[in-house]
Amino acid sequence: MDKKIVTELSKVVGKEYISTKKDVLIAYSTSASMSYENVIPDAVVRPGTTEEVSRVLKIANKYKIPVTPRCGGSSLQGEVIPHSNSLVIELMRLEDIVLYKDLRSVTVGAGVTFGKLDKYLNKHDLWIPFYPGSALAATLAGNVAVNGAGFGSGVYGCIAELVMGLEVVLPDGTIIQTGSEANPNSPGPFLRYAFGPDLTGLFIGSLGSFGIITKVSIKTHKRMRHIDYNTYGFNEVEKAERFLLKLKENDINAVWVALYEGRVLEFFLEMVGEEYGVPQHDWPTFTVSVAIGHVRKDQLQSDMKMAGSICEQLGGYVIGVKELPKAEWEDRMRELARSSYVHGWHWRILYHHQPPISWHKSMDAIWSVMDEYGVLGHTAGFLSGHGSYNWYPQIYFDPQDKNEEERVKEAHRELARRLFKTGAVPFKLAEYWKDAIEGMDDYMAFLKLIKKTIDPNNIMNPGVLGGI
Amino acid sequence: MITEIDLDELVENLMQCRRCGICRNAVFEERGFDGVCPVWRNSSGFETSFMRGRIQVALALLEGVLEKTPENAEALYTCTLCGNCTEICAAEFDPAECLEKVRAVLNDIPNDVRDSIAEMIMQYDNPYEENSQLKRNWVEEVGFEITSTGEVLYYVGCTAGIRLPNIAKSTVKILKAADIDFAVLEHEPCCGSVMLRTGRIENALTNAKRFADIIQKSGAKRIIITCAGCLKTLTEDYPKMGVELPEVIHITEFLRDIIESKKLKLKSLGKGIKVTYHDPCHLSRALGFYDEPREIIKAIPDIKLVEMETNRVTAMCCGAGGGLRSYDSELSKKIAADRVKSAVAIDVEMIVTACPFCEHNLTAGADIIDQSMRVVDVVDLVAESLTLKGNG
Repeated sequence: MDKKIVTELSKVVGKEYISTKKDVLIAYSTSASMSYENVIPDAVVRPGTTEEVSRVLKIANKYKIPVTPRCGGSSLQGEVIPHSNSLVIELMRLEDIVLYKDLRSVTVGAGVTFGKLDKYLNKHDLWIPFYPGSALAATLAGNVAVNGAGFGSGVYGCIAELVMGLEVVLPDGTIIQTGSEANPNSPGPFLRYAFGPDLTGLFIGSLGSFGIITKVSIKTHKRMRHIDYNTYGFNEVEKAERFLLKLKENDINAVWVALYEGRVLEFFLEMVGEEYGVPQHDWPTFTVSVAIGHVRKDQLQSDMKMAGSICEQLGGYVIGVKELPKAEWEDRMRELARSSYVHGWHWRILYHHQPPISWHKSMDAIWSVMDEYGVLGHTAGFLSGHGSYNWYPQIYFDPQDKNEEERVKEAHRELARRLFKTGAVPFKLAEYWKDAIEGMDDYMAFLKLIKKTIDPNNIMNPGVLGGI
Repeated sequence: MITEIDLDELVENLMQCRRCGICRNAVFEERGFDGVCPVWRNSSGFETSFMRGRIQVALALLEGVLEKTPENAEALYTCTLCGNCTEICAAEFDPAECLEKVRAVLNDIPNDVRDSIAEMIMQYDNPYEENSQLKRNWVEEVGFEITSTGEVLYYVGCTAGIRLPNIAKSTVKILKAADIDFAVLEHEPCCGSVMLRTGRIENALTNAKRFADIIQKSGAKRIIITCAGCLKTLTEDYPKMGVELPEVIHITEFLRDIIESKKLKLKSLGKGIKVTYHDPCHLSRALGFYDEPREIIKAIPDIKLVEMETNRVTAMCCGAGGGLRSYDSELSKKIAADRVKSAVAIDVEMIVTACPFCEHNLTAGADIIDQSMRVVDVVDLVAESLTLKGNG
């Protein structure tokens, strides 16, 4: 990067918060995303305010420098791998938290992690009932940029459903506020769908391609203190899938619902069963692991009874092993870290959603690819909202075996193609989906038009959002 | 053997890192974490200031992607090796231990601070002064004779001997009050901890052999230690180097037993004194001494012990360890100041600790933020409250 530009940037953030040192740049050339080529940027800045972010983007736009916004660096699908000759804008210094107790919302800076906010809200008997598996490292802003799902999504959906408004810096440096806070006289975030179209939604899942999210306003809920854990068994996949649907139809407040095929569960418990304290059990062909949460005990008791009744009406049975869902729920803050390590390999992941009744389509696609490509993996998922199930198959490789890594990459590409054909959808349009999606030309053209309009110089994380 | 590092195994271990990033600033209330890396919190906070980035730099240096220059290797040395990252890491490797090994493997990268400390130790038996006799000057001030050989040896260590002789004086006062026959060596060698932490393994091994030889000749059967760093070195590292010593025991373990057996009578230091305890990383996370010092403090009448936001296994570091105090003194003191602020936040009168290195740095940290917070070693506190048996 030209020294003149570095000088301009350092005048904005201060010399302490800009680096062009090679060792520092190497550390920013990667993230938690595995099996992505590292790319070394030209410089990294750590702005301390939204205004500084704005001034940095004005400079980047003036000189047409590609920009990679980055928060916790815990994303898994290459979202924050920089570009050549680029600038990384790291946002972890934006750490403010403002609680609007009477508006049932909170506003956090882009550097606030789920773990930090959870501790803060707990003091007020509140929470955001949503925990990505990377909650200890991931920030809310980063998660909004990828529209993540996690523990709690069974009731509350992806994080998009909880967001009330965003503060965003556009590529030209303009700072905009969406939701009710767009009104400068507003008492705070109390309504997302204010002033016309859902501009908040434009930035959710945008992977930093349209602007930099500097603040997130999000719904708070009274913390659930009553939680029941149980497991439910089925011998036929259709019945297990139907059980997931019925839980939703009957408004069972199941914050965590994971459907496991027998051999997958067996593999999973081989890895964590002892640590999780799950007793030996002769598991059925399909097991549903469920955590039901409520603010009030009477509500919980009603839902517990109803869940058991639905299960039995469908021809299943209540297994009664509570340790599995309990351990999963209690480990919700670091599930990513845990699942990353238990098997000892690196992995490529392929997040996608299916309707619960199509659960088996993903399972079939995953097994067929693993068999054909001779790769090892694991898959899991959870109910992720009104009518969706979030899958996250992982394909393993030894990081020191380049041939195996290439085979895994190829298997991953093929899996994306097959999953798309089953009707699955990605909640984030990671770059590799561009070769998998078909028959969406008009959609993609419209997306490109939006990108070009907002970011005519194409500086914001180019190529990451579906290759745009 | 600690001196025989398998490079392939080291790289394989470093690659266990999945770059999840929880070693940076995880707040995990259920397990007591309120941040993880003290360096990240108190520096510019770039990726290289915490373990995830350090590992990337280490791999780049080991694989030749990054040229081996002092500037490129900074991230290897701006770490206190406090082990908080190891505590939270879900992987099956010990990141802090790996970083220490990386320092050893890459010790051909020039580092003036590391080398001058090693040279001081090898030449003068301490990292601070050319006149090593200063280490025993405090003996003249205690008012009673101390022999230089005996079955129970009080090994003072360089920091207490030279920088904080009060700790040594308090310790011998307690030992005498408890009717313990003990000795202090006339010419005490350095344990070599800092050489191990900073990668001068060969020097550390030579020094350890000499250390063991001196101890053997002294006839000591038991060594009492007041420094957490010395304790870790003698009990954990020496066995890995194949160097044998007699029984080594930390003063807090020894003192707790003495107090339990009523050999000492402790008097009140005043009503309602509120103190907190800072866990030294080498004593607590590394060796598991959490309860002993707390039980000693609670044995002093009228003292109220309250805990800081992070304590015991998740305690934030004082900033002095891993050679950081010498490598980047300003950063080290900033970390100490941050820790002092945690004590100020709970409104205590003093910070008690059980390591001279921690006391020294926390005092410096309090100074740079103009806090009058008193920092003492647990032995100082006990010595203050001590009345000889029968003198109640």
